[in-house]
Amino acid sequence: MNEVKNSCSNNCIIDITGVSKIYKLGKVQVVALRGVDLKIREGEFVAIMGPSGSGKSTLMNIIGCLDIPDNGIYLLENTDVSELNDNQLAEIRNKKIGFVFQTFNLLSRSNAIENIELPLIYSKKTAGKNRKAKITDSLDAVRLKGWEKHRPSELSGGQRQRVAIARALVNDPAIILADEPTGNLDSVTGEEIMAIFQELNNQGKTILIVTHELDIARHTSRIIYLRDGLIFKEEIIKEPVSARQMLKTMPKLEDKIKGG
Amino acid sequence: MIRFAESVKIAFQSLASNKLRAFLTMLGIIIGVGAVVAMMSIGYGAQESVLSSVQDIGSNMIIVTPGNQDEEQQGFERMLGEDKDRDALTIDDVKVIEKEAEFLNGAAPAILNASIVSYLNKNTRASVYASDEEAESIYNFKVQDGRFYNASDVKNTSNVALVGQTVINKIFGKIEPIGKIIKIDGKNFTIIGTIEPKGTDQFGNDQDNSVTIPITTAQQKLYGIDYVNMIIAQSTTEDNIDEASEEVERILRKAHNLRPGQSNDFTVRNQTQLVDVLGTITNIFTITISSIAGIALLVGGIGIMNIMLVSVTERTREIGIRKAVGAKNKDILLQFLTESVVLSITGGVMGIAFAVIVSIILNRFTILTTSITLFPIILALSFSTVVGLFFGIYPAMRAARLNPIEALRYE
Repeated sequence: MNEVKNSCSNNCIIDITGVSKIYKLGKVQVVALRGVDLKIREGEFVAIMGPSGSGKSTLMNIIGCLDIPDNGIYLLENTDVSELNDNQLAEIRNKKIGFVFQTFNLLSRSNAIENIELPLIYSKKTAGKNRKAKITDSLDAVRLKGWEKHRPSELSGGQRQRVAIARALVNDPAIILADEPTGNLDSVTGEEIMAIFQELNNQGKTILIVTHELDIARHTSRIIYLRDGLIFKEEIIKEPVSARQMLKTMPKLEDKIKGG
Repeated sequence: MIRFAESVKIAFQSLASNKLRAFLTMLGIIIGVGAVVAMMSIGYGAQESVLSSVQDIGSNMIIVTPGNQDEEQQGFERMLGEDKDRDALTIDDVKVIEKEAEFLNGAAPAILNASIVSYLNKNTRASVYASDEEAESIYNFKVQDGRFYNASDVKNTSNVALVGQTVINKIFGKIEPIGKIIKIDGKNFTIIGTIEPKGTDQFGNDQDNSVTIPITTAQQKLYGIDYVNMIIAQSTTEDNIDEASEEVERILRKAHNLRPGQSNDFTVRNQTQLVDVLGTITNIFTITISSIAGIALLVGGIGIMNIMLVSVTERTREIGIRKAVGAKNKDILLQFLTESVVLSITGGVMGIAFAVIVSIILNRFTILTTSITLFPIILALSFSTVVGLFFGIYPAMRAARLNPIEALRYE
């Protein structure tokens, strides 16, 4: 235990040591993770890549505290979360994790504000004024002012994903976990989402995304390659692609409409 | 832990998004609660009007009827037409009672029948009450104009009659009835007075559609009988009504020469017993209604459970999202439980509203008197809450136990 702690410096948000996970599908055992070591420091922007079946979803679920490892230790902000019960995990998810999904996963009957508010409903402390301020801050961060009362069905894909990011941000989590956040978006909108992530990262947010597109992964500062339940390669990106720059070179959707 | 107000809001939101389904689900509860509250309002109304008419007559009334109503075979024999004791009571019994009783103000015989009453070419069917001069005070007949028949009318079998307001309206119209001669079953009677209107009784019968004549005249000139249908006696006070009843029984047994061990050929009832009988009828009514209510609420509850299970499956992904952002199992449990309770209470409230409307309509447009009281409303609301909780807990537990990873992946 102590060794593990010492090996990671103080600004370490995620510290995973020897984590493994085996699923039982009837009589067949599927080994999803076979002893993964991973450290993510505060303020890092990391991408996890790997083919399907490589265990990246399982790793995301464990990092997101939706699941616990069979073996190994997972320290989230120096708290051991590998053996917590359902309620404790829910509380950790509420306070320390912000999820962004490929399919947005917004509540269809609720408007943008209500969707962003969702984590606050399940949080003890935030009430009244504080709550409103947090929602407004999140909305500003994803530049969605004016769309507060719109329901997901009245928003474009990019706007929906921005609502989802605002929801992930609202409780000021330790880390944002994005699972294929651009997977359902066209390339321009995908770049816009990456631009928001980069801005948030520049402001100090720790972000971890799972993707299978190298173009997207190259926006981050470190890529972790996963295969057969093990990390087999890590790559430091010295000069990450700037989404803002990319957007300047790409034809804007509005221009196309105006021009055509 | 999610705030309660929050989960009520979510519940209303989710029900509002599927209004027709929510309404159809509630229908079971609406009908159940509505039927029960409406029936109970009718029951209470009937009870109140019976009680008030009992109090109108006065609670020191003793009623003696021929035949032993406490013996079961009596009813059976009566069905076969062997009404062996129907002539058990006579005017002589009334005289004996009046002479010997200490605890009585008085007693009056009665023959009740219905006859055709006519004046010139107009006729109508009316109740005929035949009694003696004591009836004025004991039956509570209030003379409006003219006079009541007196002892000599009774003794001489005079052909005199008093008429109620409905009869006057039907056969006299604007003509002054006193002094006119009417025909009752073809016999001539001179009208000597009119009776103050009494309105309808608890069974909806018009009490003013009646004429009253001396009992001796009825026995000898109309029906050719020497017995009476019943004897009404009045105890001196309300407190000694039971002693008075026993006294009447004792006097009649002696007058009828009944040996010890031989059963009565008459039945003595008093108002307290009538009220008791009324209570028994009300209890039976209540039990019947409660059983119907129970079945209706059970069916309604199963409907709620069914729709909640569907709802949990449909909203698996929503549950996954909520859990991912930090909802605990008990938050999800509370959310779905609140939804089923909101469903059942809303159904209950709509059912009560429905019953109130029905009861007001019945009160206004039919002869039924209804009475909406707080008790059935509170009962209905608490029962629908319990139904919501009971049938909502299983679906809510299923929702709470969902694994967030699988729920998020659910299509």
